[in-house]
Amino acid sequence: MNTSSNGYVMGFAIGVCVIISAALAMTNNALKPTQDEAAEFDRQKNVMMAAGLVVDGDTRPIEELKKLYVERVKEVVVNTKSGEVLQGKTQKEATQLNKEAAAAEKGDKSAASRYRVAALTTDATGKLESVVLPISGKGLWSTIYGYLALEGDLEHVRGVTFYKHGETPGLGGECENPVWCAQWKGKSILDEQKKLVGIVVKKGKVDPVIAADKAHKVDGLSGATITSNGITNFVKADLSAFESYLASLRK
Amino acid sequence: MTATSIAPVKKRSLFGKEELKVIKDPLWDSNPIAFQILGICSSLAVTTRLDKALVMGIGVTLVTALSNVMISCIRNFIPNKIRIIVQLVIVSGVVIVFDQFLRAYMFDLSKQLSVFVGLIITNCIVMGRLEAYAMGNPPWRSFLDGIGNGLGYLWILALVGSVREIFGSGKLLGMQVVPQSMYEAGYVNNGLMVLAPGAFLLLGVIVWVQRSISGYSEK
Repeated sequence: MNTSSNGYVMGFAIGVCVIISAALAMTNNALKPTQDEAAEFDRQKNVMMAAGLVVDGDTRPIEELKKLYVERVKEVVVNTKSGEVLQGKTQKEATQLNKEAAAAEKGDKSAASRYRVAALTTDATGKLESVVLPISGKGLWSTIYGYLALEGDLEHVRGVTFYKHGETPGLGGECENPVWCAQWKGKSILDEQKKLVGIVVKKGKVDPVIAADKAHKVDGLSGATITSNGITNFVKADLSAFESYLASLRK
Repeated sequence: MTATSIAPVKKRSLFGKEELKVIKDPLWDSNPIAFQILGICSSLAVTTRLDKALVMGIGVTLVTALSNVMISCIRNFIPNKIRIIVQLVIVSGVVIVFDQFLRAYMFDLSKQLSVFVGLIITNCIVMGRLEAYAMGNPPWRSFLDGIGNGLGYLWILALVGSVREIFGSGKLLGMQVVPQSMYEAGYVNNGLMVLAPGAFLLLGVIVWVQRSISGYSEK
């Protein structure tokens, strides 16, 4: 057989591609449910990590962590426009409501993400321990997803995690570094007049002498200015979206 | 790519002298990292912890072995003009399948290894073995060659990984091995070991030791 004729080369290339793509499609299909389950568990774990129920690298078995989630965490669907909680709705229904709202109110850009899922955790006595808010937005290359947990006073940060992103490993990807996330703890999202300021990822190091730095800012990610600015922006945007809900909780 | 071209053998036994040589050589004499200096990039990047190093090593072993077999099976049909791209397609396929399995069953590790699993595709060891061995040898011996080279890569990675984890964070496989009393006595973890330059120094030492024992010198 003449293996260097153009026809043969074309045919061979197409054949290899078809076989490999079929194999990949099959693997992906077969593994999708397990992967989704793993990703969902990872999300739950991050909610708990932000709320301080679990530490990074927790060695407890998965079943125990899942049980802990059911026991201590309650997810609520919030209408971010009115600040009301929609009782008995699930994440899926919230997605559906968002679609409907976006279709009904074409002019309103915020309608597509009006219904969001917040998580409340309670301590052993049933007192509100923290409110975990989903945060997400654009970094440099990708959309970054994370959770920001507020203390029961709804003013100070209890913890933060970033669990899904496509930023450069070692630069913007350092946003998932637990050491970096740890400095968010105790920062205040409100200024002295109780107005929302959010958390600012500063360019450079935080200077503890400056009061505003100490209260509201965290160290920048070196070599990742755009990721840092992105985080600052979407944290503020998401916090202000939840502001009406938080206000209703503060009462 | 230092090819270890082997003359065709007539023996038919599964583990004859040739077969054993094929699997043993890359473990020491022609080790892909220490001797051929291939796959350095990933051995610096994923060796901060032993579990990462092990998973990466197993990944490379599987990928090299499987793609070696596949290429070896179709080696007589691959048109010479497009052989590299055909090799790449097959390697990519195997790597993606491996990555999918990691994502399903070892989600945390796959997140930490992030791009480096995907980068097995461009690991010089894989392509090197395909070009140097699988294109000219039958499937079984190519399989052994892949396993051998993968294991040669694995043990060096595991060695670097253990040293870095013990001295960098005082742990091994996530368990504390440096006792608390030592920290209280003033011992501190070596920050250099956590960073890539630490791995680079370590790897240099390993290559040096390996070469002085095996008596190899650059001509």
